[in-house]
Amino acid sequence: MNILEIKSLYKSFGKHDVLTGLDMQVPEHSVYGFVGQNGSGKTTTMKIVLGLLRANQGEVYVCGEKASYGETKTNRHIGFLPDVPEFYNFMRPMEYLSLCREITGLTNKQISKRGEDLLTLVGLADDKRKIGGFSRGMKQRLGIAQALLNNPRLLICDEPTSALDPIGRKEILDILAAVKGRTTVVFSTHVLSDVERICDQVAVLHQGKLALSGTLAEIKASHRQGGYIIEFATIEEATSYAKAALLHLKTINVEQDKGTLIVKASDTRHAGDQLISLFANLQTVPLKFEVMEPTLEGLFTEVVQ
Amino acid sequence: MSHYLAFLKKEVMEGFRTYKVLIMVLVFAAFGILSPLTAKMTPVLLDALAEEFTISLPEPAAIDSWTQFFKNIAQMGIIVVVIVFGGILATELSRGTLINMLTKGLSRVAVILSKYTYMVLIWTVCLLICFIITFAYTSYLWPNDEVRNLVFSVFCLWLFGVFILSILLFSATLVRGMSGCLLMTGGSIVVMLIISIWPAVEKYNPLSLASFNVQLLMDTYKVTDLFWSIGVAAVLSVIFVTTSIILFRKKQL
Repeated sequence: MNILEIKSLYKSFGKHDVLTGLDMQVPEHSVYGFVGQNGSGKTTTMKIVLGLLRANQGEVYVCGEKASYGETKTNRHIGFLPDVPEFYNFMRPMEYLSLCREITGLTNKQISKRGEDLLTLVGLADDKRKIGGFSRGMKQRLGIAQALLNNPRLLICDEPTSALDPIGRKEILDILAAVKGRTTVVFSTHVLSDVERICDQVAVLHQGKLALSGTLAEIKASHRQGGYIIEFATIEEATSYAKAALLHLKTINVEQDKGTLIVKASDTRHAGDQLISLFANLQTVPLKFEVMEPTLEGLFTEVVQ
Repeated sequence: MSHYLAFLKKEVMEGFRTYKVLIMVLVFAAFGILSPLTAKMTPVLLDALAEEFTISLPEPAAIDSWTQFFKNIAQMGIIVVVIVFGGILATELSRGTLINMLTKGLSRVAVILSKYTYMVLIWTVCLLICFIITFAYTSYLWPNDEVRNLVFSVFCLWLFGVFILSILLFSATLVRGMSGCLLMTGGSIVVMLIISIWPAVEKYNPLSLASFNVQLLMDTYKVTDLFWSIGVAAVLSVIFVTTSIILFRKKQL
C-alpha cells in the first residue's frame, strides 16, 4: 500500500513554476529519499502535503485519504520535521511535548511514558534547560521527538541533516534508521551519502517532476552503463592492453587514465569474457578488474543536467 | 475547545516567561500611581518654577487625577498594548513555531481565538490594576471628592481597547510582519480621528469611547450618548475577529 500518493501536482509562485505535474508514490515501511537541488521544490511539495500551501492543481493522498489545503485531517497520520525546526524558546522539552500532546489528543498517561521514551531516543531525556539554550542539533533531535509523538504512519523530514556537523548528522541518521520499522519516512536532502546510507527508495526531483524514482538497487541496475574498470601496475601494461583490446573487440570504447582503463561496451557480458581471456593471451595480471557501478552522485548529475 | 485551552495556556506561559506580562503590569501600575500624583503635584511644581509671578491654579481635585488616568491609558496605555502585542502572530509565523503546531492538527480557529482571549485578558488585568491603584490613591488624597459614572467610563475605555485589539488581530492575519500590523492598527486609529471631525459621526465613532471619559465623570456628556459607539465597537470587534478566523483558515503559511 502507498502511504503517500501525489498525482499530477502543479504549483507556481507568480510566474515561477515550481512543480509541473509531479507524480510520486511512497510505499509503506520504506525510507524514501527525496533528492533535488536547492530550490527544486522539495519543501514546496512537503508543505502542500501538509496543507500549508495551496496547490494550483493535482491531488495528494495520505494513507488513502485525500489531503486538502488549510486544516487537513490527514495531518493526524503525519509527523513533520521542518528544515530548521523552531520551538517556543521559553519552554522545556517535556513542556513542549505536553503541549503537542494536548493538541494531538493523547491522554496524560500515554504521553508521559511516550514523551520520556522519545526524549531518551533522541538523547534529551536529562536536559532540563529551556529550548532557547539548545544548539541546532539538539533542536533537530527534539524536532524528531515531537514529530514521532503521535505515532505517525508517515514521518516527513525536510533536510534534517543539512545544517548539522558530522556527529549531529550521524545522530539524526541513526535515529531515522531506528524508527524505520515503525513508520514510513520521507526525507528530503541534497546530501547523497545520507540517501545511500539509510534510504531504500529514492526519487530525484528536477524541473518540477520526478526525473528518477525507484529502489536504490533498481535505479542503479537500470543505469548500469555496461563497463569495466581495469587497473594495471604500470602505464605501459595498460597501454599495450588497451591496444590489444581495441584490436580484438571492435565494439568497445576505451579510456585510459595513467594505469587505469575504463572499458565501455554495448554487450557487456560478451565483452567481459573477451577482456578476461585477453589477460591470458597477453600474460598480464591486472591489479583490479571490476564492473562499473553507477554512483548516486553520477546519476544525480546526469539527471539534473 | 481543548485546543483552545491548551494554546491559551501556552500564550499565558509565554507572556510570563518572556516578561511581557511583567512589563505591562509594571507600566500600567506606574500609570496608576502617576495619575493622582501628577494631579497633586502639578500646582506645586508650577509654583516652584515660577516664583516671581503667581499663577493662579484651582486647587487640584479627584477629577484632575482621573483626567490624567484617562489621558495616560487612552494614549500611552493603548500604544504600549499595541506594541507589545504587535508581533503576536507575525513572530510565530516568521519563526515557524506555529507550523509545528498546525501540522499536529491544531485548529486554526483555536489559534486566533486563544490569541485574542489572551490579549483581552492581559489588557483587562492591566487596566484593572491601574484602575484600582488610581482609585485607592485618589480616594486617599481627595476623600471628599465624588465623580460620577466612573465604572461606566472605565468600561468604555476597556471596550475601546478590546476593539483596538480586534483590529490588531485582523491586521496580523492580513499582512505579514509586525511593522505592517502596527502600521495598519495605527492607521485605523488615524482614520477614526479623521472621521471624528464630523459631528454627525461622533455618535457612532468607537473613538468616542476613549475621548469623552472625563466629560462622563463630570456629567457633561450623557451615558446614553455613547450607546451607539458601544454598539458599533462591539459589532465591529466581532466582525474583525470572525474575519481574522476566515482569513487565517485560508492563509498560505
